[in-house]
Amino acid sequence: MYGSVGRCLRVNLTEGKHRIEEIGPEDQEKYLGGRGLGVKIFRDEVSPEVDPLSTDNKLIFVSGPLVGTGAITGASCNVITKSSLGSTLACAKMRGHFGAELKFAGFDMIIIEGRAEFPVILSIIDNKIKLEPGLEYWGRTTSETEELFKKNLGNQWVSRETFLVSIGPAGENLLPLATIINDRFLSVGGAGIGAVMGSKNLKAIAVQGRHSLRVADGSRFVQVINTMINKLNSAPLTSQSMSQWGTAFLVGLCYQKGILPQNNFSTGILSLKNIGTEALNSAFALRSRSCFACPVGCIKKTELKHPGYEGQGMVPTYLAIGSLGVNCGVNDLTTIGMASMLCAEMGLDPVATGGTLATAMELIDNKAASPEELKFDLRFGNGEEMLRAIRLMATKKGHARRLGQGARALAAAYNRPDLFMGVKGLSLAPFEPRAIQGLGLHFATCNYGPHHLYGNTFIDELLNAHEKLDPWDIEGKPQLVKDYQDATAVTDSLGLCSWPLMGLKFKNYVPLVNSCLGTSHSADDLLVVGERIWNLERLFNMEAGFSGADDCLPDRFINEPVQDGPGTGQISRIPEMLPEYYRLRGWDDQGVPLPETRKTLGLENS
Amino acid sequence: MARIKIDHSKCTGCRHCEIACSLNHVQNTANPRRARIRVMRDRNRYYPVIAGPFVDAACTSKLFVEVGDLQYDMCALCRASCPEKPYFIEAETDIPLKCDFCGIPPSPSCVRWCNSGALELVED
Repeated sequence: MYGSVGRCLRVNLTEGKHRIEEIGPEDQEKYLGGRGLGVKIFRDEVSPEVDPLSTDNKLIFVSGPLVGTGAITGASCNVITKSSLGSTLACAKMRGHFGAELKFAGFDMIIIEGRAEFPVILSIIDNKIKLEPGLEYWGRTTSETEELFKKNLGNQWVSRETFLVSIGPAGENLLPLATIINDRFLSVGGAGIGAVMGSKNLKAIAVQGRHSLRVADGSRFVQVINTMINKLNSAPLTSQSMSQWGTAFLVGLCYQKGILPQNNFSTGILSLKNIGTEALNSAFALRSRSCFACPVGCIKKTELKHPGYEGQGMVPTYLAIGSLGVNCGVNDLTTIGMASMLCAEMGLDPVATGGTLATAMELIDNKAASPEELKFDLRFGNGEEMLRAIRLMATKKGHARRLGQGARALAAAYNRPDLFMGVKGLSLAPFEPRAIQGLGLHFATCNYGPHHLYGNTFIDELLNAHEKLDPWDIEGKPQLVKDYQDATAVTDSLGLCSWPLMGLKFKNYVPLVNSCLGTSHSADDLLVVGERIWNLERLFNMEAGFSGADDCLPDRFINEPVQDGPGTGQISRIPEMLPEYYRLRGWDDQGVPLPETRKTLGLENS
Repeated sequence: MARIKIDHSKCTGCRHCEIACSLNHVQNTANPRRARIRVMRDRNRYYPVIAGPFVDAACTSKLFVEVGDLQYDMCALCRASCPEKPYFIEAETDIPLKCDFCGIPPSPSCVRWCNSGALELVED
């Protein structure tokens, strides 16, 4: 087998035992690996009705077959479990170096079962698999955990090569908003996974190893990568915008089309003076950082200077500026940077946390809740109070318990469920769905809740990288959404990042896959695999209790047009697009995959 | 003579050079521990280090050097594979490794894949 290692580590925390298993080649052919294979195994082994925090839930870490082979942007490790926030299937994408190191340690996949009696750390270092006592690390932030673990290894050369994924205090306290952090990067779409890891009393996983990965045709593979690097360098979005400012360059573009939401998706007017790319340049000295084998380098590090903290931090990404900043009315980059850093230290998901805070702010704004009841003076634009709330939320100290349960629970507690801006229990990523119709349809139908990175339609809708489409128009959008959802399922399953689709077409990946894995797939073959994975996830969610009725956006987006800003008058036209989307997917009018669709995709028995 | 110039301030730590080297020297194989270039991480900075000659004894040179307000760990930046440091030792054969300046022209494989500008081929 090329690319993959073909081995899986199964750890039962209740018994404290582990077992090494082979991964069957048929599954790998049908689902490629990564997200697809993880979902397949999770669905085979775990009942969809499982309580996310019970011992029966499992946690799967899986690296795709292209991770670590040098395939460009092949760094992503997927984490699959049932989310404790939305009760859907959850699939986080971990960036950085963990995924590649997991394969060098000799495994494609780690399956975590049961629950340890005391906090533990799973360490796979130099071929030795151990469960180490983790009491010493419990209660520490993610960066403290990482530093202390590396110090305790006692060998600076081994610790330099070791990579950790850990949970912060938020995950330990079983907060549904908790996510997992690796190498101080926030993982994407991880809301609800931190609590699952915390419920298993697993503080961290450390990997290091020296296994070799085989590729099928090395010389062709090297040539293909040379071509792909040249392609990325000649595309302005990847070579300039992304590598200069990271995803933060989207702020200005989104604002111009009315896509940047403000004050819990209620208004669209703001000044870019404080948060645009120019402000970013003057606020921070940017230093690029890359995930494994990435020629783009969109992660920006900097020295943060804030009255409460001075030191290393991340430059806020679009997600942080949108969710923790503008959508909470905060437009000061240093505060947003602090909030983003606190989320990474505490192990909180920025989208879910930002959504919760914005909901709390609107509750207070509408006088549905008083600041005294919430114990926080959370008003739109009050950055300092927001930072205090984030700190207390994660540690469950003070009176932040209600906030920590997430936006939906908070809105319901004050009888205003209409103020929860989210789908399937998860908060919306910061894109105004009324002003970008295709992405709105994706948010409504996505299996993992409304997150843009599972169907990056704005690459065509807003950035016009491959096709010139208008974000406010619905012409051809259902097809676009389906194509992007399938393509992302494929890139995730291979272990590649989906951002380079800005500079590369999906078909450019085909020679990379074939030369690495020794296969002879065409682009259409791969997209069929993507569709199979999408349908499999859909089936899991349906069995878990979701139906076509959950494929909708909050009433605000369907009934109230945008009142101000560049997108004035726009309204989400989901009801017009949904039937067409179901038809293209081969689902009935309730959104259930038809028997013939299941048959063509080879899912009739699953 | 052509040389590889390293500008560590540009390095983003993607380690693509390590894999380039490994694929070029060991057929169809990707493994950073079989590469002749490694990226050392020191807090928030990355330093690409190219394997130099093998030495069979530990050295007596100064461990930390301060330039401006930055402190450099000279042992980590040292190019030699030596008994003190398990770097640049082939993962499967345990043979010490040394850069053989592969792939001229147009440039060595690590330089070709370095997209950040940290590695550069210069003539002087």
